[in-house]
Amino acid sequence: MAALPFELAPAIAALPFVSFLIALLVGAFAPRLLPKGGAIPGILATAGSLLLSIWAFVAVSGSADGMYHEYITWVAGAGEATLDLHFGILLDPLSTMMLIIVSLVALLVHVFSLGYMNDEGETGLPRYYAGLGLFTASMLSFVFANNLLMAFMFFELVGLCSWLLIGFWFREEGPPSAAKKAFLVTRFGDYFFLVGVVGVLATFGTSMFVGSENMEAFPHIAEQVLAGEGAVEVTTFLGFEPQAWFAVLGLLILGGVVGKSAQFPLHTWLPDAMEGPTPVSALIHAATMVAAGVYLVARIYGFYALLPQVLAFIAFVGGFTALFAATMGVVKKEIKQVLAYSTISQYGYMMLGLGAGGYVAASFHLLTHAFFKALLFLGAGSVIIAMHHNENMWDMGGLKEKMPVTYYAFLSGSLALAGIVPFSGFWSKDEVLYEAFVHGLNSPLLLGAYAMGLLAVFFTGFYTFRMVFLTFHGEPRTDTARDPHGVGWNVKFPLAVLGILAAVTGLVNMVPVQKLLGVEGIDFLHQWLDAGPEVLSAHHYSTLTHDFAHYTAGTIGSADLTVLLSAGVSLGLALAGAGAAWLLYDVPEPVRHTDRLGRIKTVLFNNYYQDEFQVWLAQGVTLPVAKAADKFDQGVIDGVVNGASSVSLFGGSRIKRVQTGVVSNYAFLLTTGLIVLLVAFGIMGGWF
Amino acid sequence: MVPIEYYLLLSAAVFCIGVFGILTRRNALLFLMSVELLLNAANINLVAFSRFHGNLTGQTFSLFTLALAAAEVAIGIGIVLVLYRNFDDVDVTEATTMRW
Repeated sequence: MAALPFELAPAIAALPFVSFLIALLVGAFAPRLLPKGGAIPGILATAGSLLLSIWAFVAVSGSADGMYHEYITWVAGAGEATLDLHFGILLDPLSTMMLIIVSLVALLVHVFSLGYMNDEGETGLPRYYAGLGLFTASMLSFVFANNLLMAFMFFELVGLCSWLLIGFWFREEGPPSAAKKAFLVTRFGDYFFLVGVVGVLATFGTSMFVGSENMEAFPHIAEQVLAGEGAVEVTTFLGFEPQAWFAVLGLLILGGVVGKSAQFPLHTWLPDAMEGPTPVSALIHAATMVAAGVYLVARIYGFYALLPQVLAFIAFVGGFTALFAATMGVVKKEIKQVLAYSTISQYGYMMLGLGAGGYVAASFHLLTHAFFKALLFLGAGSVIIAMHHNENMWDMGGLKEKMPVTYYAFLSGSLALAGIVPFSGFWSKDEVLYEAFVHGLNSPLLLGAYAMGLLAVFFTGFYTFRMVFLTFHGEPRTDTARDPHGVGWNVKFPLAVLGILAAVTGLVNMVPVQKLLGVEGIDFLHQWLDAGPEVLSAHHYSTLTHDFAHYTAGTIGSADLTVLLSAGVSLGLALAGAGAAWLLYDVPEPVRHTDRLGRIKTVLFNNYYQDEFQVWLAQGVTLPVAKAADKFDQGVIDGVVNGASSVSLFGGSRIKRVQTGVVSNYAFLLTTGLIVLLVAFGIMGGWF
Repeated sequence: MVPIEYYLLLSAAVFCIGVFGILTRRNALLFLMSVELLLNAANINLVAFSRFHGNLTGQTFSLFTLALAAAEVAIGIGIVLVLYRNFDDVDVTEATTMRW
């Protein structure tokens, strides 16, 4: 019998699910009874989830083994060499932290939706709130899932909710198309993930994240196999050695991660997903759903830490995506597009951190990014309300005086995003880059990824402040900007909460300060992620990356100098980017400086022609291949089947003529048969 | 005692006459008679071997065959009657509706 908060843990996900059911059923049968189109049940449910998550968080830190793990078996294997499938709840430091992030952002987004959807007179609100509720429920279930298969199921549900909500305005042309694109692109990645899940089950016989009395966790089995200790046996396929086969499995699961976390080359869906309502963008496409991919890697980091090639790949993809997306963000003219590319870029940093062995750093960035990016999207939503749903930054300007709460909250988020000290983004991004840097000193590939991440810091600073200055500073450029629509408390309250969080969250893990000043014990997040069960702890992961991936921290000069150098360079670049934006755009009448980039701008504005490339891939490569396969199927495969049937049809139509209906003929055939039989027996029996 | 070969020859001759009748005649009644010949050829065989082996089973069995033949004639004549009603003839080559 577990303690009370753990008994209530399923309710963390069940509450939003109930709000989904209420919004759906009451909205369908008695819409008049539904207060605020379903917002009130949603707010209550997410608030309940938040309280329970915090309670679970406190209880985990107080419990003896630092975690809570409970599961039920829904498919029990019979006999030898079979496997069981489970549903379960795993509450450990990482998952409780993520639960709080998700439920907090979901709560604030529900409140914000009152201002963005209800007050703007949208129709179809029960559908909207049902989508939000289902999304929150599935994301929370994904977070506390205790095995890979369950995680996969809710991963898919989250994708479904994303599809429902992006296509919320389904009567317009853009949203349904964007929704389909998001669904298909992420599904492409999830296909690999599914194969990976099956592969893990087939290899290890379990997909548990953490061991229990009668079952080992699969990362731990992999660790034992690679260390060559114990009598653990695994089944590998296709003739691979365990090391290589695990790398294949890791890459397959990474497919889902790359799709969901919008990493290159599957990032193309995220900017289009901005067609959805802005609170949805804040909740799903910035703070939580996109985080699912990165969270998954962090969740099974004990597995990835064993695979140096996969880690290097993750780091490189992450670093590349960070830079690649940041450059595209520089030229966009719509406020949400800039934020969309910054989201892709920031998730690139998290992947870089994970690949570089910075488990805590990446989790930290996940935490701070959730707050400041939700803040920026909600701030953008507030601006969009004020601008009567015009998202073009060139039509804005001078909103600073008109909407001070939004401005200061947005500024706090922007400083965090750009990584300016002491806002939260600085601490987390700096830690990610620091990890990549110190490990990169001994590994050129990581150093390359680090260089790309570092360069992206400059672009991040630039596009962030370009956005801030174009939106809020200077002279109003249109009539709407001169007389913006006011926003209510339900918009300002979430902005204020997130604005404060974006400013101060960094204080939970001030590692550079600790290292430089020698103040022990202020790396709270590090201690927290180190606290849980041994195999899921941060120091275990760093041991693994050291033993298996041979990550060692290098230094330049002294350790203090390395810390200073890393922090100084990234801060300097962020300030340089912000300063450049200040020089160019903080003027009363800014001009389109990016036009001077000429053809480079065209390329950037068209997203490096990635969409065109993918369309070409679908139409120019996949379609002909599919047509050829269809021809082969219709011609050869079906031809053989049809040929066999037409031969027997033709034969039957001829042979059936034996049936004349004349009894004498039958008698003749019988007699002939008898005689032939007799003669045959005679010859074989040697009568003649 | 008459050797068994004679009985067998007689039986074979009767059987061949029956087969010949079935193959060449078109009248359903003659068909029926030919079938009787076939049955009786078999009976002759049974009785002959029964006597040859000194075992009465064959003779008993031939009694069953006789009873069966009587039943068969009853049904056969019924069929012939139906044939006549439907086709106004007892020619078996006329009734060719059960065909492909």
